[in-house]
Amino acid sequence: MPTAPPPAARPRRLGEHGLAWAFLLPSVVVLVLFVAYPLGRTLYLSAHANDLFGAPSRYVGWKHYADLLASAEFRDTLLTTALFVLFTVVPGVLGALALVLLLENRIRGVRLLRSAFALPFAFSVASASVVFSVFYNPASGVLNGLLSRLHLGPVGWLTDSRYALLSVAAATVWMNLGYNVLVLSAGIGSIPDEITEAARLDGASGLRLARSVTVPLLGPSLFFLVVVSTVNALQSFGQIHVLTRGGPDGATRTLVYSVYQKAFAYGSSDFGTASAQAVVLLVVVLACTALQFGVLERKVHYA
Amino acid sequence: MKKSARALAALLVSGLALTACSSGGSGSGGSGSDAAAPAASALDQASGVTTVEFWHSMTGKNAEALTALVDAFNAAHRGKIEVKPVFQGSYDDLVAKYKASVQQKATPALVQVYDIGTRFMIDSGQTVPAQAFADRDGYPLDDLQPNIRNYYSVGGRLASMPFNSSVPLLYLNTDAFAEAGLDPAKPPATLAELGDLARKLTKKDGSGQTVRYGFGAAVYGWFVEELLAESGSLYCDADNGRTGKASKVAFDSAKGAEIVQWWADLVKGGYAANTGWQTTDAQAAFKAGTVAMHLESTGVLRGYTEAAKFTVGTAPFPRTAAGDQGGPVIGGASLWISGPGHSAAQQRAAWELEKFLTAPDQQAAWHTGTGYFPVNTKALDVAADQQWVAKYPQFKTAIDQMAATKPTPATAGCLLGVMPQARKGVETAVEQTVSGAKSAQQALADAAKELQPAIDAYNSAVG
Amino acid sequence: MTATLTGPTAPAPARPARRRRPRPRTLLGRSLVHLLLLGAALTVLFPVYYVFAGAFMRPDEIASYPPALVPHSLTGRNFSGAVHAVPLARQYANSVLVAGAVTAAQLLTSVLAAYAFVFLPVRARRVVFGAFLATLMVPWEAVVVPNYLTLSGWGLGNTYFGLVLPFLASAFGTFLLRQSFRQFPAELRDAARIDGAGHWRFLWRILVPLSRPTLAALAVYVFLSAWNQYFWPLIITRTAEMQTLQIGLSTLRDSEMADPGLILAGVVLSLLPTLALVLFGQRFLVRGLTTGAVR
Repeated sequence: MPTAPPPAARPRRLGEHGLAWAFLLPSVVVLVLFVAYPLGRTLYLSAHANDLFGAPSRYVGWKHYADLLASAEFRDTLLTTALFVLFTVVPGVLGALALVLLLENRIRGVRLLRSAFALPFAFSVASASVVFSVFYNPASGVLNGLLSRLHLGPVGWLTDSRYALLSVAAATVWMNLGYNVLVLSAGIGSIPDEITEAARLDGASGLRLARSVTVPLLGPSLFFLVVVSTVNALQSFGQIHVLTRGGPDGATRTLVYSVYQKAFAYGSSDFGTASAQAVVLLVVVLACTALQFGVLERKVHYA
Repeated sequence: MKKSARALAALLVSGLALTACSSGGSGSGGSGSDAAAPAASALDQASGVTTVEFWHSMTGKNAEALTALVDAFNAAHRGKIEVKPVFQGSYDDLVAKYKASVQQKATPALVQVYDIGTRFMIDSGQTVPAQAFADRDGYPLDDLQPNIRNYYSVGGRLASMPFNSSVPLLYLNTDAFAEAGLDPAKPPATLAELGDLARKLTKKDGSGQTVRYGFGAAVYGWFVEELLAESGSLYCDADNGRTGKASKVAFDSAKGAEIVQWWADLVKGGYAANTGWQTTDAQAAFKAGTVAMHLESTGVLRGYTEAAKFTVGTAPFPRTAAGDQGGPVIGGASLWISGPGHSAAQQRAAWELEKFLTAPDQQAAWHTGTGYFPVNTKALDVAADQQWVAKYPQFKTAIDQMAATKPTPATAGCLLGVMPQARKGVETAVEQTVSGAKSAQQALADAAKELQPAIDAYNSAVG
Repeated sequence: MTATLTGPTAPAPARPARRRRPRPRTLLGRSLVHLLLLGAALTVLFPVYYVFAGAFMRPDEIASYPPALVPHSLTGRNFSGAVHAVPLARQYANSVLVAGAVTAAQLLTSVLAAYAFVFLPVRARRVVFGAFLATLMVPWEAVVVPNYLTLSGWGLGNTYFGLVLPFLASAFGTFLLRQSFRQFPAELRDAARIDGAGHWRFLWRILVPLSRPTLAALAVYVFLSAWNQYFWPLIITRTAEMQTLQIGLSTLRDSEMADPGLILAGVVLSLLPTLALVLFGQRFLVRGLTTGAVR
């Protein structure tokens, strides 16, 4: 444990350099071992074929990437990923925004409702997914049970390839709602009252107030939510693993899930292909973030 | 633990001379049938306790039954052999862990691997065939159930010791049969009959809602494999990988398409429930009475009779058509003895355990404790076993069905290095046909096409 | 990086004691707002309600079709059943241990690194700090395969070390604390130096205590992230005894003996800590959550 550095100026500078590195060292070691090095190894693995036991055996260059480009399955995976982002981010952010704006009205029980809408946040991805698996269950599902009381259905929520992605997306929207409401509520709470008051004195109310004052001032929070939700959607794994395992017929196989399947499922240990897909994932995440910062952020008004 | 295992392996390298098996983990072991087993004297000459690390995938009551058997073995060999069972997660997890252990040259002495990992285990070049031990000792393997022995044999030589085997059955809700005016004693024998009965057993309420489906099974590739075997068809070439290394799948045949189309048509017609990939969901539907006929393995029989509020009936797994000459393929897992990196004494100790676990008394205990099908035919003569079968008479169906099945390449099942992916491909084909995205023929052809690169890559990696 | 976004680094939103809200003027407008909110509340809360209702239902109520919506008689058997089917107590302890260790370690490593960046001379500071930030851009899923290979290669598969090692430091925590430390008043720093406080004492006696709100927010954020992890514990653990609560829940769902009531009982048990946080610590939670807002 380093003690207080001696007061003398010269050795103190030297000691400070040492101390700086001592302080940085733990973080540097962890980040190098578990982010930088594996990133390099992902690239390395993506250019190698595997032997029977998953060890890289020979250099194949761009082959895995070329195979991915040529594969209809991988094109489906990319499309599914894009759709999943669309189906979770848009309703997730807009839904939370609508709720938060409605909660701005002075009616009884608003505070209680705000807490209520935050409740889904208590659910982890796993617990929410498990709950939705009970709801969507084809054998004794709660949702189909509700529908049957109305003499409707049954719907193959997760077993019908037309609905599976939407069902997983709906579960995702629900589990993210609490977080989104909390973030937007905090954002709306930091809008100075004088601004809304002034707008109201000008005769703005209801939808007009929301459109011309509240939403623009929420810009930074909304932008933040869109970026975070997009990255979260791109990285979603738990709900797919619990609910559908990427099926039926690959309808819910997103990029991350595909990486998992190639590397860890069906005893395939295809680390080469999995790594190539992981590199694609990295590029997609970087591109999405860059795009959002380049295009969306310009429109954000920072108060 | 890992370190000590590696140190142990290093210490025991001298023992390697006794095994003709190629080491080095490059996976060029061929069929492994040329590997020799050490002599029985190796164990007698070993000083101290020989430890056998035994990786398995058993959970719940299966794990309890296994632990009890291993404890009994250890007690009988105290001071000489100690077997340490280590649970390594699901079958898939275990294979992943095993692959890593080969790279690190720290394999366990004995490992339980699922049926569809058989070809991989042979190709890994890490194992000594059970046949080599049996030959060396003159140990008879004739008590092994012939169809089970057939699955784990290549070129007539037993590669691994079968341990836990499942047999597929057709389960019936006999109350539903009675309600529909049908006789559960006359179960459907073919897919066509099953389809007819499914239509009759499907029940709708006044508003047109289906309250009971005639048929329902998990979208599980195993069932398609079973039906193909029933029809006497091959699943992959080279006689299901028995006379050589399979180089392509054969499930995309007219027969395969007929089976998948039959299943999809029942679902699309509203006579079969589609509960998806999850076997527990299909089981729940049957137990809840919302499905009248159902495909599952023998392993769930006891759970069904305990949970269901109706009388559970069983029938032989259906044939695809009246003239079918095949029969069901067994499922489950077998035990593999490691060669490279393990002393002669360890290999012998592992073999002793294999013989113990598959002896009549132990298989009877295993069968009655878990519901798995006994791999030793003599186990069925053990009094405790007969009492159990009397209590669960539905199990008799499986015994008769296995006895009636002739061992052929078709009923042996397909050995393929990428069998888990092949099974997944067939499941996707079923889903595509059910959704109407493709015809069964097209879906299976596409599955075969998509699988081909994986088969080629595997075979070229084996060399 | 948008440090301009809301975050603990920015002054906390000053909440007036009684915020004035607009009140819908017409009766129609008011009923419409009521109706919309009520509908939304029912939709959002139904899953929450059913988790608790279902957890107390008997198998014949919930496992039959259609499943009951209201329990007719409350049974506690699902809870004992869930704990029996999966070692939930052990997995609970695992989750607490793992999330706790990750939180403590990340706070420590981040405090040290951020201190170095702000108060110590670091050679090529901009480059080093830039490299730290660059690691934030790498999605964890893109490096999960090599990390799995590394840790299982070290024989750390299915161990606590395997569960926590990759998460002992984070560039995010470092970045956040750096922002906070930079705003530390120079006068206070100088005063401490004049009093003879060296780096070590200044860090632990003055800086850390005064940064408590930021540290607490970071702690909440890190703990929740670690608590909710799924992908990594799924692949790095194998036995039920080493799995975390999240994995335990999904194996409960896959287990043969689990009817929906049992599964929901497991969910209820797993929810208790986070539910308490949402219900009783919401303001605190918001700070922790918007911590992520600087990403």
